[in-house]
Amino acid sequence: MTALLRYQTAILLRSHRWIFPLIAYVLLIAVGAAGSTSLAETLDWSGAMLVPVVAFLTRAMLTAEPDAARACVCAAAGPVRAQFATLIVPLGAGAVVGIVAAVFDVLAAEAAARVPGAGLGGKVTAALDHPGIVAGGLLIALVCLLVGSAVGALCNPPLLRHPAAAMLSTLAAIILALAAGVSPANAAISHTTAQVASPVAAHWPGPAALLGAVILLAVAWGVSVLAATRRDTWSHSST
Amino acid sequence: MRLEAVGKRYGLRQPWVVRGVSADVPAGRLIRVAGRNGSGKSTLLRVVAGVSLPSAGKVTGRPHCGYVPERFPGGLPFPGREYLLHLARIHGLPGETGRRRVEEWLERLGAASYADQQLRSMSKGMCQKVALAQALIPSPALLVLDEAWTGLDQAARAELDAAVGERVAAGGTVLFVDHDAARLAGREDERWNFDGAGGVAILAGPAPVAAPRVERVTIRLETADAARVIGQVRAIEGARVRSVDVEGADVAGADVAGAESP
Repeated sequence: MTALLRYQTAILLRSHRWIFPLIAYVLLIAVGAAGSTSLAETLDWSGAMLVPVVAFLTRAMLTAEPDAARACVCAAAGPVRAQFATLIVPLGAGAVVGIVAAVFDVLAAEAAARVPGAGLGGKVTAALDHPGIVAGGLLIALVCLLVGSAVGALCNPPLLRHPAAAMLSTLAAIILALAAGVSPANAAISHTTAQVASPVAAHWPGPAALLGAVILLAVAWGVSVLAATRRDTWSHSST
Repeated sequence: MRLEAVGKRYGLRQPWVVRGVSADVPAGRLIRVAGRNGSGKSTLLRVVAGVSLPSAGKVTGRPHCGYVPERFPGGLPFPGREYLLHLARIHGLPGETGRRRVEEWLERLGAASYADQQLRSMSKGMCQKVALAQALIPSPALLVLDEAWTGLDQAARAELDAAVGERVAAGGTVLFVDHDAARLAGREDERWNFDGAGGVAILAGPAPVAAPRVERVTIRLETADAARVIGQVRAIEGARVRSVDVEGADVAGADVAGAESP
């Protein structure tokens, strides 16, 4: 499995398919950090934006390997493990990006708090004095990470092979995941909006949101792996 | 390795591409898979190689497998050598062992000089050599070649013929498809003929069993009248029926008929 993960990571890094999602994330994080009034709110935003980033990273990986190359790997390691490795790598990349974003948020909030009269009264929260805020933010990020991966797995090959259909349904599913009440990601984020009265209150995702995200991920990955073992060709053009 | 009533179709409402293929594949066999275009050869090879699971039946006892696909378009973002090092690790050959095997096969196939070139800038023949090397690196006990000779230069084709011989001599099984009837002619032990309707007939090859005296031959066959067939076998001079084992008496199973072993 290590060899497969190494191989898929090399494909991700070498194909430069990470550049677009990463740049988009950096821009979104910068916007979020500038616009929010408390550290907890900033972390909420950074977590929520992981949904599109991980979904598109997953899409990038699911479309990176040509059919023939995948077939060679499947013969060597089995189609199940090959597909799992393809799904794990973007999830891991999303986790790294999410942690970096959380660190950035904390440092930015601290810096803002130290500047006297900076006008960001709400950002007074020194994160290290309130580890609950950071922990809650990371949990929200985790929920969004799992949901993003599930969206990417469900809306892309081998389940949805037509490029346009896959792209559009990925976008639609991201919006749905963030806006619809039934989505664990939405539950994790909106669970907190009722508490924003105090800028120093920690935002925790509900246990239902966490559980929901885990179940959603398990189902999405399961279906994707199953389809990968049954399909011969992934690309839309070949049959 | 054994194929038990293996069938494959791409979707519940799709027609069967391969249907009801049963075969014992003992070690040390060279098997030619024959049939016209679109008869399901590639699909069966993929199922045998474990690239995709069968829709019906199962493949049991599959040894470590190297698979060479029909076309290997170099769409991956690696130089050839780096790709092969990754594949060596995936085949379970890490570090120095893998490195050595990669160099060995690049050398044998005559691809060492351009192995550091990006896969996507390689020609069809160069890519084909990389595809061959990834399958041969682990010295697999099962080698599946889907028209692996196309696009290769003369020297590489001869090297592949030799590699096939080495695998079979080492007790490995090699399945191959090639539209050139002269390819490995006279060397195959078995021939699997596709009938174009998803069925496969398995024929023993021209090579006789190379032993001075054969004590026991196991023949698996399918018949509607076992008593008659056993009677005919008993009538053969020099043959004695030791035991009869009925594997599955499927009265209504005419549509999952297995392979014929004449």
